[in-house]
Amino acid sequence: MYFSGIQKLDNLLLVSVPRDLVDDEVIQLRRDVLQAIRQFKSQIVLLDFSQVDICDSFFGRFIYGTSQMTKLMGAKVIISGLQDAVIETMVELGMTLPDVDAVLDLDDALELTSRMFKRNGKLGGADADNEAMPDDDDKVLAK
Amino acid sequence: MSSSPNTLFFRIETVHDVSSARRKGLMLAMDMGFQTADATKIAVVISELGRNIVSYAGKGTITVLSQAGDNSRKYIKIIADDRGPGIKNLNQVLDGGYTTSGGMGLGVSGSRKLMDEFNIRTGEGEGTTITALKWL
Repeated sequence: MYFSGIQKLDNLLLVSVPRDLVDDEVIQLRRDVLQAIRQFKSQIVLLDFSQVDICDSFFGRFIYGTSQMTKLMGAKVIISGLQDAVIETMVELGMTLPDVDAVLDLDDALELTSRMFKRNGKLGGADADNEAMPDDDDKVLAK
Repeated sequence: MSSSPNTLFFRIETVHDVSSARRKGLMLAMDMGFQTADATKIAVVISELGRNIVSYAGKGTITVLSQAGDNSRKYIKIIADDRGPGIKNLNQVLDGGYTTSGGMGLGVSGSRKLMDEFNIRTGEGEGTTITALKWL
């Protein structure tokens, strides 16, 4: 059963993506995320995938599409918690998710977003994003 | 679903069937001793091939065979079978990025990369049978 694990944390939206979502639930989750961004005026959306152990191309499209849609709302998606096996499978399948920023886990995600807000007061444009992004070693799939 | 110790059989008509098949495939692979990354690949291949059945043929079957005996090398074989329209542009499909369903076009080409052996039998109007094998 679909459970929308969306929490508001200050300017962040924390989305715990459940495992085994079927397609209509994935689409509903995305709509719930976009609605929550508008409702809470969130600037950063953390999509946490630590519960997800199977990520096929449909799911990859969900991640990429959500990132693009969120951008059009003036916010930014950061993904966290992708498991090693999921990452290996996604990349070998051909899903590299260009332009989607990732961090290793939720702790790193919170540290990153904290730095972003500290430097900029609020999340600014592309320059602010780039300044606050972690070193390459910290990224998982970020290009 | 019906099953024997070495075979899982799934009728595929909806994405719910696909979800169930990939989850059971993952569990079977883990039980056989596949490393998590390889078990995940098997589950994703079941998902991709199952999705293709739903998207292009409407219905079909997925059979997951496992050879887990003591005396021979262990493997999992996935057989995705449908009686749909067949794959018209097979070379483009195998190259990846080609889709007529709005997806990423990674289903077949990506699945081939994730498995050790991969065979397609298809023809226009004759349906499609894809056999994919991964050694333990």
